[in-house]
Amino acid sequence: MKALKLGFMGVVAVLMLVPMYLLVVNAFKAQQDILTNPFSLSPDLLTTEYLVMALSNPDFDIVKGYAVTILFVVLVNALSILLACPVSYVISRRARRPYRLLLLLFVAGTFIPSQVLLIPVVYTLKFLGLMNSIPGFVLFETALTLPFSVFLYSGYISTIPRSLDEAATIDGAGVHRTFWSVIFPLMRPVVATMVILNTFSVWNDFANPQILLGPSSGLYTITTGIYAAVGQYSTDYTVVFPTLLLAAAPPLIAFVLLQRYIIGGLSTGAVKG
Amino acid sequence: MSRSVSRRLVAVATAVGLVALSACGSGFEDSSDSGSAQADGQTGEVRVLVNVTTNLTKEFWREVVKPFEDAHPGVTVKIEPGTPSVKEALPRLLAAGDAPDVVETLNADKTLAPQMLDLSDQPWVKDTPLVDEAEVDGKTYSVGVGVQAQNLVFYNKDAFAKAGISKAPTTLDEFEAALGKVKDAGYLPLRTAGGGWATGTQFAELADATVFSRNPDWYADVLAKKTTPGQSYLPILERYKSWIDKGYLDKNALGLDEKTAPAHFFQGKSAMYVMGSWFVATADAGKPSFPVGVFAAPPATGDSASAPMGVSVAMPYMVTKNTGKKELAVELVKYLTTDKAAIQKQLRQDGNFRKGVADGLSPLGAEVQALLEAAPKQVPHPEGLGSVRLPAGFNTELNKQVQSLYTGKSPADVAAGIDSWTASH
Amino acid sequence: MTRNLLSVRTGPAAGAGPVRRPGRTFPSRRGIATRARLATASMVLPALALFVVMIVIPVGLSVYLSLTDWDGYSADPGFVGLGNYFRLFRVSEVLTAAVTTLIIAGAGTVLLNALGLGFAMLVHRKSRLNSTFRAVLFYPHVLSALVVGFLWSALLGTTGVVNTFVTEAGGEVLPFLSDPTWARTTLIGVIVWFGFGVNLVLYIAGLQTVPQDLVEAAQIDGASRWQTFRHLTLPSLAPVVTVNIVLSLVTLLKTYDIVVSLTGGGPAGSTQTAAYLILSDSFGNSALGFGSAQSVVLMVVTGLLALTVSRLRAGADEAVAK
Repeated sequence: MKALKLGFMGVVAVLMLVPMYLLVVNAFKAQQDILTNPFSLSPDLLTTEYLVMALSNPDFDIVKGYAVTILFVVLVNALSILLACPVSYVISRRARRPYRLLLLLFVAGTFIPSQVLLIPVVYTLKFLGLMNSIPGFVLFETALTLPFSVFLYSGYISTIPRSLDEAATIDGAGVHRTFWSVIFPLMRPVVATMVILNTFSVWNDFANPQILLGPSSGLYTITTGIYAAVGQYSTDYTVVFPTLLLAAAPPLIAFVLLQRYIIGGLSTGAVKG
Repeated sequence: MSRSVSRRLVAVATAVGLVALSACGSGFEDSSDSGSAQADGQTGEVRVLVNVTTNLTKEFWREVVKPFEDAHPGVTVKIEPGTPSVKEALPRLLAAGDAPDVVETLNADKTLAPQMLDLSDQPWVKDTPLVDEAEVDGKTYSVGVGVQAQNLVFYNKDAFAKAGISKAPTTLDEFEAALGKVKDAGYLPLRTAGGGWATGTQFAELADATVFSRNPDWYADVLAKKTTPGQSYLPILERYKSWIDKGYLDKNALGLDEKTAPAHFFQGKSAMYVMGSWFVATADAGKPSFPVGVFAAPPATGDSASAPMGVSVAMPYMVTKNTGKKELAVELVKYLTTDKAAIQKQLRQDGNFRKGVADGLSPLGAEVQALLEAAPKQVPHPEGLGSVRLPAGFNTELNKQVQSLYTGKSPADVAAGIDSWTASH
Repeated sequence: MTRNLLSVRTGPAAGAGPVRRPGRTFPSRRGIATRARLATASMVLPALALFVVMIVIPVGLSVYLSLTDWDGYSADPGFVGLGNYFRLFRVSEVLTAAVTTLIIAGAGTVLLNALGLGFAMLVHRKSRLNSTFRAVLFYPHVLSALVVGFLWSALLGTTGVVNTFVTEAGGEVLPFLSDPTWARTTLIGVIVWFGFGVNLVLYIAGLQTVPQDLVEAAQIDGASRWQTFRHLTLPSLAPVVTVNIVLSLVTLLKTYDIVVSLTGGGPAGSTQTAAYLILSDSFGNSALGFGSAQSVVLMVVTGLLALTVSRLRAGADEAVAK
């Protein structure tokens, strides 16, 4: 039974990993070798030539792509925490109807596919003078994180005993201080979950940066950069595989190193229904 | 989490917020800066949205505009590839208020014209190719570099010799017979591909020989609702479907990218490749292992000699109406469409033609030019041109409809599909 | 569910309350009320303002635009009433995209959850091997959908790695991406490969809350594995199942990136999803009004489906709460 389970897990693991193996080994091969010997690891087929070419692609500076994407991830996460946490606190501590409606409003936002918003948002941002700018993009991405954050945070805060707030208030702390210094520290697990989720969604987002950050902004993220670099050469595998590998490697390495925290962090906050 | 940690977290978050705000300030200034119109328009950056293909690489475009930059100190020309295509990118950029100054590839139509600069009063536009046909409501918005011949069939001369075909087919029946012979000789007779345009474009290039032979004013008649595109195409759709069934066309062609398909042809696996004249440049660069020949797509009635040739404007340029660099943009378009060296460079790179600029043609290119000049009439194609033009998106729809012949639809259903799309747009 | 966990954690923090400031003068009652109201407002309004500007207003704009024939940039949109909505049912492309989207959402939700829960049962116990295995199942999600789509299209295309391999070995080309049925199946397969790790993690987290003593007791009493799962594990997982289903459904209904990079919507438009068509129609075809009508319908359908599932699952959820 145990052997059967192990065998099954082995087969599944291979199925999961084969595409990644192919991505890695074929990033070091010529087109003909990729097609005729995709699985081969023979050293005389391997060359770093194409990887170097992908790294020095003048149209897609991968380092810049990373810098921009990381900047977005940090800004969106920070802004999302700053905005979503306090409002969730108020919502979960007030029983009055307006606040219940407020929660409902935010939660309704989780059911709106972001592509539906994307087109009208172009005009909203244009009206605000924020189209093709970092603040415009970050504000929209942050807004997209609000519904689920508020839903998760307010549920979590309602499990924190009110006596803590009351103690703080008696001690003369205002609402802000009570929240940031007493309640917020206790929200660490759920905030961690949300940060992981938001990091994934900003990191992987393609449609939003593609449309909201036009050519005049001079900005591209990893995904939009890849789309421009790979989309036009989709069958020149000596461009496709090395470029994809460069894009995939850093998040994968980060994942391997942090996997315990990422998977753990996702589960802790997420079970809070 | 201890309080000091949380305080530090808040501090970090605040700092990041401040960075965001300052970024906000600079970003805002940037965008307002580039949006402001420069009255003199003589220096600065001109943004050109271009079509990037296997032939027309980004490096090629930079080379083309280099002499212009050299002649205009303080001017940079920024080449922006349309992703995924100019056709899809332009409306998005117009909507976003991020429109380029110059747009390559598209001809003005009724929707685009109001967004573009009227170039009618520029004296130099009169001598550019197909300029009268491209007019919208009597005004010139797009100016081209050359002419592309569309209805061409490129073929593997070795394959024809091996199949015992001594003379290029001049009627559709001869063409069909040739397909059978090269198949018997072990070749895939016709190479096509899936993707966003190739299937439909190749079909139209074949079909239009027949359609235009029967009615040179076909586009005008479709617009006047005297005929419908689906019904006109139906006989050819039926033939095309039978070719798929007989294995003259690869039933898995849709999985092939339009960029890979030429390579298949150059490797000698397929005998024929239907494509416009830009394929001359692709073939010259693709170094096929066999001599490549070319003939005009044959019509079902009459023969090739009597069939009008479908043509299109090669590299049409437009200037956007709200550009802040009006004079510079117009100057650039003038350079691109009238400077002899610039014209030659562009024509050669994409295998296109222009009267009076014939040098530098490859032997295959010269053959295509002969076909173009021999044609009794030139009909703007596909979708038409200027005011005589099918609804925008017709090509994309035709492409999907022709592809659905591969996925099991009947020719009659496809014809009906094309007509219902046309009626609802 | 984390309630008991949490109360343990809150213990020490409760002791470390804010520092008392002696000698502080208290403002008037009214002053306190006003200040409290201001403070509350300052906590609510920034988030609310952003939400309204970036989500509520755009939704309203979408609804308005759906009643026009705007191309996206000309001066004024022409009002066409419900014309765009009636057209939705006449344009075959829209109907095909609707079918494709529903197939993806339906089949995808079933597969994501079946695999997620199945593997969670297999590897939820803590061990080194299990945690490695979890990481192997989860890792595709770290790559973006766009990268995943490009990768699989390079592998499965007609001239891709797998097909070249197959044809060199004398086989026929497998139409992974060139036949409509195959292409839809491939698309769903890639989506599942990409995403079921997330469901797995959520289910594992849920399984930690199933009372192990009861499970053991049941097994001692001679209950089969299936009986234990059916009558004990599954019922207590009910809220997690609901969350997973709703999450999968909402995510799958907006499938876009993977279509762009894997199939480009082809062959013959058979893998165009609603979101794909919305974005290509709106700007690509300069049909913003028509695209907005599709948006509004997608939004309503997503909301209704999510609500329906939540309603249907409400009974099961409540049983657990008791």
